[in-house]
Amino acid sequence: MSGALSVRDATYPAAPATGADRSGPAAIELRGLTKRFGDTLALDGVDLVVRPGVVFGFLGRNGAGKTTALRILSGLARPTAGTAHVLGHDVTQASDVVRAQIGFLPDVPGFYPWMTAREYLEFAGQLFGIDPATLDARARALLEMAGLASVTTRVGGFSRGMKQRLGIAQALINAPSLLMLDEPTSALDPIGRHEVLEMVASLRGRTTVFFSTHILADVERVCDAVAILEQGRVVVSASVDELTARAAANRLIVELEGDDAAAVAGLLTGRVWLASLERTEQTLRMTVSDLAVAQREIPAAIAAAGAALRRFEIDDASLEDVFVKLVGGAER
Amino acid sequence: MTGFGAFLRKELIEIRRTWRLWVIPGMLVFLGVTSPIIAALTPGLVRSMAASQPGVVMRLPEPTALDAFAQFIKNLNQFMLIAVVITGAGVVSGERSSGTAILALTKPLSRGAFVVAKILSQLALLVAATALGTIACLVTTAVVFGAPDATRLVTAVALWLVYATLLVVVMTLFSAAFRSRGAAAGAGLGFFFLTLLFSSWGPAARYSFLGLLRAVGNALVGQPMSAVWPVLTAVAAIAVGAVAAVRIFERQEL
Repeated sequence: MSGALSVRDATYPAAPATGADRSGPAAIELRGLTKRFGDTLALDGVDLVVRPGVVFGFLGRNGAGKTTALRILSGLARPTAGTAHVLGHDVTQASDVVRAQIGFLPDVPGFYPWMTAREYLEFAGQLFGIDPATLDARARALLEMAGLASVTTRVGGFSRGMKQRLGIAQALINAPSLLMLDEPTSALDPIGRHEVLEMVASLRGRTTVFFSTHILADVERVCDAVAILEQGRVVVSASVDELTARAAANRLIVELEGDDAAAVAGLLTGRVWLASLERTEQTLRMTVSDLAVAQREIPAAIAAAGAALRRFEIDDASLEDVFVKLVGGAER
Repeated sequence: MTGFGAFLRKELIEIRRTWRLWVIPGMLVFLGVTSPIIAALTPGLVRSMAASQPGVVMRLPEPTALDAFAQFIKNLNQFMLIAVVITGAGVVSGERSSGTAILALTKPLSRGAFVVAKILSQLALLVAATALGTIACLVTTAVVFGAPDATRLVTAVALWLVYATLLVVVMTLFSAAFRSRGAAAGAGLGFFFLTLLFSSWGPAARYSFLGLLRAVGNALVGQPMSAVWPVLTAVAAIAVGAVAAVRIFERQEL
């Protein structure tokens, strides 16, 4: 893609009508959303609220139900039970109104192979009824953003990465209030992935971005908030900072001056607040159930063992730690 | 019918840019040119074959412009209707399986507009191609047999187009209903052969669209009025089929 990737640089409305209005209705609100395919429960009573203007990561393993939720939100599928509201509208009742305000990129976007990238953007814009002058300027800017401005070959000859970039461009053609992306970086090389994430980040506060992914690093890098979906259920929904802080609060690292870790460990073993303990000669890594008690009793044990403390800190946790903890660390 | 104009425009450009421009029109023009020639050559060919058989004497009337028209209509029934079935089988299911429908239908394009644009674009191609083929047939007939009376051929072709329109709608319905192109084609061929089978049953042929193909033949020999009930019921079936195709597609999950 080109260097001018930021959507702020494109011919794009300065502030989408409802996208950044944080006092308005939720960008997405799911209540008890359930989807069943025969005997398979793809979504099991999902409750989720996405505030306007945020970049929201919808995280989960393959098969967790992310794509099913996005298909319901975009009007491609109907829920078995529960409700799904987008920008205040029930997606099953006001699908035309909803579609006019969203941009959507499926995991594998399908294009007409006989069209050029520009023709596709023009076609997409015409479906939205965008006036020709605006459409021309916006298509040009989005092609530039997607690094496809000089590409004249038909889409049938595009690589998967080029199709993905065109997919993102077409999802932005109507300056959507809500941009929904299903695994947007999965087909991209590292540079393309970096640039897409930069573009997503540049939309923060202007458009709500809701993207599903199983790539934890992408979420950590650009998301304000995240929900983790596991076996059709939302197991957690919080801001990224809150989530990592919550996990970090229970992990401690204690480093000693001498080789007294074994002695201190001996004194701590059996305490009710101690969930797990790993040690080397000088270091103890602990998971605790009551941080306040641990912060009082660990220094006392170090003193009782006659050891000297070099470092006592609450461990930084990554989103990966949270994810593994919540979904069991099975194959991803 | 949100997005109808933009999507219909896309469909018409797609016809112009892809193989669809050449298959149906190409076949029709080919049949239009070759049918009068085949009609003119057939008696000679049969006589020459008969001459090689000792004791066989063949007496065949000299071919006329009406034979050329009959040959053209026969070819339309045999080849073009099957071509309509095959090409129509993927009209909705192809967009669904390739993922192109998902991108279009998550924009302000209603399912109804999607289906109706598909039907109208196919009909536009079929009508234009049939007109070209008919003109080719008339010109070739004039060259081979002298200036023909075009009225009967035009009437017969118009009746054939009514049946072909019904087949286009039925194929769109099957293509919307079935996930695979093969299943839609199979159902379409089944429909086509069943209508052929039941068209020989007198009451059904007189009072339903099942009699349309027979009415085409009647029109060639100057009995166009026999087509009133078949045409009226075909128009009703076209309307019902189009509504059913829209409703089925609206209920589907993509």
